[in-house]
Amino acid sequence: MTAMDDAPDLGGLFRSAGVTGFLHAVDVDTGAEVSCGGDEPVVLASVFKIALMVEFFRQADRGLLDPAERVTVMADRHTPGPTGVSAMADDVTASLRDLAYLMIAVSDNTAADTLVGRVGLGAVNAMLAGFGLARTWVEHDCAGLFASIVTDSGQQDMPTDPAVISRLRALDPARTNRSTPRETARLLAMIWRDEAASPGSCGWMRRLLGLQVWPHRLASGFPYDDVAVSGKTGTLPTLRNEAGVVEYPDGGRYAVAVFTRSYGTAQNQPRADAVIGTAARTAVEHLRSRLS
Amino acid sequence: MDLVKHLYYFTVVAEELHFGNAAARLGMAQPPLSQRIRRLEEELGVRLFDRSSRQVRLTGAGRAILAESREILTRVDRLRALAGRGEGAVLRVGVPPDLGSAVIAALIAGFEEADREVRLAPAEMWSADQAVALASGALDVGVLRHPITAPGLSFGPVLVQRPGVVLAASDPLAAVASVHLADLAGRRLVLFPGEPGLHEETLAECRRHGFVPEEVHEAQTLGLVMAGTAVAFGPRVELPGLRWRPLLGSPLTWRLSTAWRGEAGPAAAAFGAVAVRVLKEGAGMTDDGAAPVRQVRARPASGFLA
Repeated sequence: MTAMDDAPDLGGLFRSAGVTGFLHAVDVDTGAEVSCGGDEPVVLASVFKIALMVEFFRQADRGLLDPAERVTVMADRHTPGPTGVSAMADDVTASLRDLAYLMIAVSDNTAADTLVGRVGLGAVNAMLAGFGLARTWVEHDCAGLFASIVTDSGQQDMPTDPAVISRLRALDPARTNRSTPRETARLLAMIWRDEAASPGSCGWMRRLLGLQVWPHRLASGFPYDDVAVSGKTGTLPTLRNEAGVVEYPDGGRYAVAVFTRSYGTAQNQPRADAVIGTAARTAVEHLRSRLS
Repeated sequence: MDLVKHLYYFTVVAEELHFGNAAARLGMAQPPLSQRIRRLEEELGVRLFDRSSRQVRLTGAGRAILAESREILTRVDRLRALAGRGEGAVLRVGVPPDLGSAVIAALIAGFEEADREVRLAPAEMWSADQAVALASGALDVGVLRHPITAPGLSFGPVLVQRPGVVLAASDPLAAVASVHLADLAGRRLVLFPGEPGLHEETLAECRRHGFVPEEVHEAQTLGLVMAGTAVAFGPRVELPGLRWRPLLGSPLTWRLSTAWRGEAGPAAAAFGAVAVRVLKEGAGMTDDGAAPVRQVRARPASGFLA
């Protein structure tokens, strides 16, 4: 059901925050949905780590890997990044599933690439195709993504120069990790319905997504003690994303995927972060108002 | 001696703790009042007041019989009321004024079906007034909000009501499907007058959920809400200029029950049964205990220990 006439003005919300936004929200249990460019191709950035986590737990379900196996990540093999193992100075030994925790909760790039080394990007894409998520594709791991930015910009730091940003392949959905808001929301809804892997593994994935530390995007729209917000962020120059699930105290569960691209190139844009929460709340309220 | 009358004089003096004031209240001179208290003391064989200091004080014996004296006096009043009323006349019932015309009409219709002999005389009264009226025998049955009590009252099964919020149509929050208490921050609140227990519980719950009203008004109508200067809690209303929205998570629980004094007569018992049915079917109330327990969902960024 589309019902465009009564749909909230999400585009206006995004514009007033200085971004172009794409959103898809779906009621996990009824399938009711609301969309704002939900079928547009979008750059996943770190949101691709959700798909990687799903395949990791599916391989654990099949006995292809042991999630409790301890691995040592050498200091000279760390992928750049501001958090987790990426930010640590020394060799780190942790279990695979604890690396999965760091990858989801703080978007640890080194943890993600270590899991890619075990799971394989081919397996992730095969899983996505098997689920019918034909427009979701993982092109490269974090190191590959970072290398493309360095090549295109000619610098190690994240660029803020508009001319440099405009030529980054990492910001072109056709040439980097990509999806659509609808497909990303669908993958999350499958995790919440125990369809993405075994119920036990889906429970683990929900726990990890619930440990998301960044409060300024999706969670900021739901500042309530009795509402649970789980999610995974994604950030690249001009891109601010978060996809997750919001659970209301009356049992309502809504998968929401929000992808934004700012007009400005500044790194710090609190309004752009906050509109992810505001738009998600507006979309969820819209879904809830249709129930009654 | 007329023991009942003497007990009445005693309770008035005990309330005033001043013979002159008590006499003035009773419309009599002080000497005959002092004399009657002395006669009561002789009759009971104890001193009821300590008159040695400048201030009159109740003795231990006086304190011991005060509550019982009041009980006897209200029972005598009630006895007179019952005798004067005769058999099968009228059941005087108190209902909260905000219950709404439809619910009150359903109560009357339901009771007429259950008991054709007795006519129902409903009076709209807030809970504090109902408790006083029940205790004094001016009311036979009440439908009142908790927590509230008065000596000698008995209560029927407790029902719970989950109020929503009533907003001005112009309030930006009217645009959303459900409102969290925290969203109401900065607004003023209208609460019913004459509901002291409910008042305190509601404000405590508001504070716990991050809504500290800038001002609390006691008002019977929704005029302040319609004017856009305050919000109110209550069951769904549909009035021009107002919007009703459910509260996210149903944080407020309003409890309500029937009440009567002492043993319920057959008419009062029949009304109690009708009231429970009508309030469940017509006012969306549920049994106490059906309410879900509130769950706090911790987040790393806002939870403790981080």
